[in-house]
Amino acid sequence: MNEIGLSQVLFVSCALFFIGIYGFLTRRNMITMLMSVELILNSVNINFIAFNKYLFAHKLDGLFFTLFIITIAAAEASVAIAIIINLYRNYHTIDVEEVDTMKF
Amino acid sequence: MNFDAFILMKSEMSLTLIIFFLLILKVWDGIKDNTALLHVVNFLLLINLITGFFGNTDGSLFSGMFHTNNTIYLEKNILKLGMFIISLQSFDWLKNHKHLLEFYILMLCTLLGMDFMISSNNFLMFFLGLELSSIPLAALANFDLEKRKSSESALKMILSSAFASAIMLFGISILYGVTGTLDFTEMAPLLTTSQLSILAFLFVFAGFAFKLSSVPFHLWTADVYEGAPVSVTSYLSVISKGSIVFIFITILFQLFKSYDTIWVNVLNISLLLSITIGNLFAMRQENIKRFLAFSSIAQMGYILLALTNGTQTGESAAIFFLLVYTFSNLGAFGVVALLSAETGKETISDMKGFYVNNKFASWVMAICLFSLAGIPPTAGFFAKMFLVTAGAEKGNYTVISIAVLNMVVSLYYYLRIIKAIFIDKPDTPLAKLNGSMMMKISFVICISGAIIMGFASNLFEYINTITGK
Amino acid sequence: MGSAALILLLICGVAFASGGMLLSWGIAKSSKNKVKDEPYECGIPTTGTSWIQFNVGYYLFALIFLIFDVELVFMYPWAVAVKKIGIGGLIEIIVFMFILFMGLLYAWRKGALKWM
Repeated sequence: MNEIGLSQVLFVSCALFFIGIYGFLTRRNMITMLMSVELILNSVNINFIAFNKYLFAHKLDGLFFTLFIITIAAAEASVAIAIIINLYRNYHTIDVEEVDTMKF
Repeated sequence: MNFDAFILMKSEMSLTLIIFFLLILKVWDGIKDNTALLHVVNFLLLINLITGFFGNTDGSLFSGMFHTNNTIYLEKNILKLGMFIISLQSFDWLKNHKHLLEFYILMLCTLLGMDFMISSNNFLMFFLGLELSSIPLAALANFDLEKRKSSESALKMILSSAFASAIMLFGISILYGVTGTLDFTEMAPLLTTSQLSILAFLFVFAGFAFKLSSVPFHLWTADVYEGAPVSVTSYLSVISKGSIVFIFITILFQLFKSYDTIWVNVLNISLLLSITIGNLFAMRQENIKRFLAFSSIAQMGYILLALTNGTQTGESAAIFFLLVYTFSNLGAFGVVALLSAETGKETISDMKGFYVNNKFASWVMAICLFSLAGIPPTAGFFAKMFLVTAGAEKGNYTVISIAVLNMVVSLYYYLRIIKAIFIDKPDTPLAKLNGSMMMKISFVICISGAIIMGFASNLFEYINTITGK
Repeated sequence: MGSAALILLLICGVAFASGGMLLSWGIAKSSKNKVKDEPYECGIPTTGTSWIQFNVGYYLFALIFLIFDVELVFMYPWAVAVKKIGIGGLIEIIVFMFILFMGLLYAWRKGALKWM
C-alpha cells in the first residue's frame, strides 16, 4: 500500500467509460442518454490528465486537450438539449422508443 | 506580427469573415428582403470559391498543428464548390424561410470546421474541427422546426454522433498515453504493435466508420437523411462525407502507416458489408432521400475499396471520385430539392411521369443517376474505374469481384427511378415545376461536371501529381 | 503514510460532520408543528407541492449560461501566461471575447434573454 499509481486511475476511467456505454445502450430517456455520453467524455478527461501527470509531466498536451473536451461537451449538451426541447414540443415525450416515425 | 497565418489560413479567414458578416447582418436586422439576402450570400460564396484557386502556398502553422499543401487546397476547393452548388439549390426553399441567415451561419461554421479538420496535423486540431463540423449539422437537421421527422432525425444524429466522437476520443486518449504526443508526424514512428495501441486504433477507426456511415455503423444514416431538409441532406451526404474521407486518408496513410496489414483487413470487411447492405436496402426504398442515403453508403464502400490500396494511387482515385460524386449526387439531390420545395413530395411513386412536364430536370436526374451508377459516357464510370483499379493493385481479387458484381446490382435500383420518370404513365402527371434561375444554374453546373470530368483526363493526372509530392 | 493518512482523514471527516449533527440532535429541544415542515419556515405560505414541472424557460437560460460559463475556462490558461505572451495574447483574447459577445448579442436580439 503506497501511492496511488497510474493503473488505479486508469481503472476508474475505464469503469466510467463502460458505465457510460452501458447507460447509453440501456436507458430510454434522452436526457439520461446524453448524461451517459458525458460520462464517457469525463472518462477520457481522466485518461488525459492521468497520462499527462504520470507519464509526460514535462508537456501540457493532455491538460489542454481536457480543457477543450470540457467546453465541447458543454456545447454538445446544449445543442442536444435544445433539440430535445424542440422534439418534446412535437412529440410530447422524451422516451426514445416512442420517437419512431421513421423505420428501415 | 507575422502575416504567414493570414496567407496560409486564407480559406478559413475568408469563411470566418463571411460568418461574421452574416451574423452582423442578422443582429442588425436591416434587410428584410430574403431574395436580396440570398443573392448577397451566393455572391460571397462565389468569391470565396474563386479565391481558393489563387495564391496557394505550402506551409505549417502553430508549431505544426495546422499544415497545408496543394492537395489540401484542392480538397478545400471541392468542398467550397459543393457548398456553392447547395446554396444555389436551396434558393427555392429558403426564399420564404424566416431563419435564412441562421441556415448559412450554421452551414458555414461546419464548413470552417471541415477546413480546419482537413488541414490538421494534430489530434487536438482534428478533434476541434470534427466537432465544429458535426454539432451545427445536428442543429441544421432540425431546421424544419415544426416537422416531427426533422426533430427526430436531429435527435438521432446528435446522440449517435456524440457517442461516436466520445468513443473516438477514448481511442485518442489511449494513443496519447502510448506515445506521449498528439502530433501526427511525431506519433507515427512511435506506434508499436502493442495490443493497447491496436485497441486504440480500433476505437479511432470506429469513430471514423460512424462518420463515414460505413456498415456496421450506418444505422443513423437513413433516418437522418430522410428527416432532414433536402439541402441539409445533400450537404451531409456529399460535403460532410467528403471532408471525413479526406482526413481519413491522411490518418490512415500517414499516422497508421505501420498498421497497414491490420487496417486493410478491417477495411475489406467494412467495405464489403457497406456495398452489399447499401445495395440491398436501397432496392426496397420508396422515399428518394432514403434511397440516396443507402446508395451513398454503397458509394462509401467503393471509396474504402480504393483506400485499401494504401498508396498515393488510392488517394488520388478517392479524391477524383469525390469530385465527380459532388457533381452527380448534388445534381440528383437538386431535382429532389426542386420537387420537395414546390410540391412537398419526396417518394419515387411521386416521380411517375415526371418527364411529361419537366424535360430538363428529368434529364438532369437521369445523367446524374447514370453517373452514380457508373455507366460509360458519364464521369462516374471513369471515377469508379479508377477506384476499382486502385483497389485491384493489392491483388485481393475476391473483394474486387464482389464489389464489381454489386455494381451490376446497383444498376437495378438506379434504373428503377429512371423508369418511374420516363416510362411510367400516371393518371395525372406532375405539373411543371418552375424552379428559379439559381436552380437551373446549379443543374447546368452539375451535368456539365458529371459529363466533362470524364473526358478531362488531365485532371486525374493533375491530382496524381499533387498527391505524389 | 499514504493510504493510512487518507483513511484517517476520511474517518475524521465523517466523525466531525456526523458528531455535530448527533450532538445537536441529542441536546436540542425539538418542537413539532405544521409550519416546521414547510420548505420555507418564514415568509409567504407556499402553495402546492415541490414536485412541479419547471417552466421550460429556465432551461433556455441555463443553456445560455452554461455556454458562457464554460467558455471562461479558456481565460484561466491565458491569465496565467498573460505576462509572458504580451500584447499578442491580449489581442487574441479580445477577439475571443468578441466572438462570445456576438453570440450573446444574437441571443439578445432573438429575445432569448426576455422572460417569456
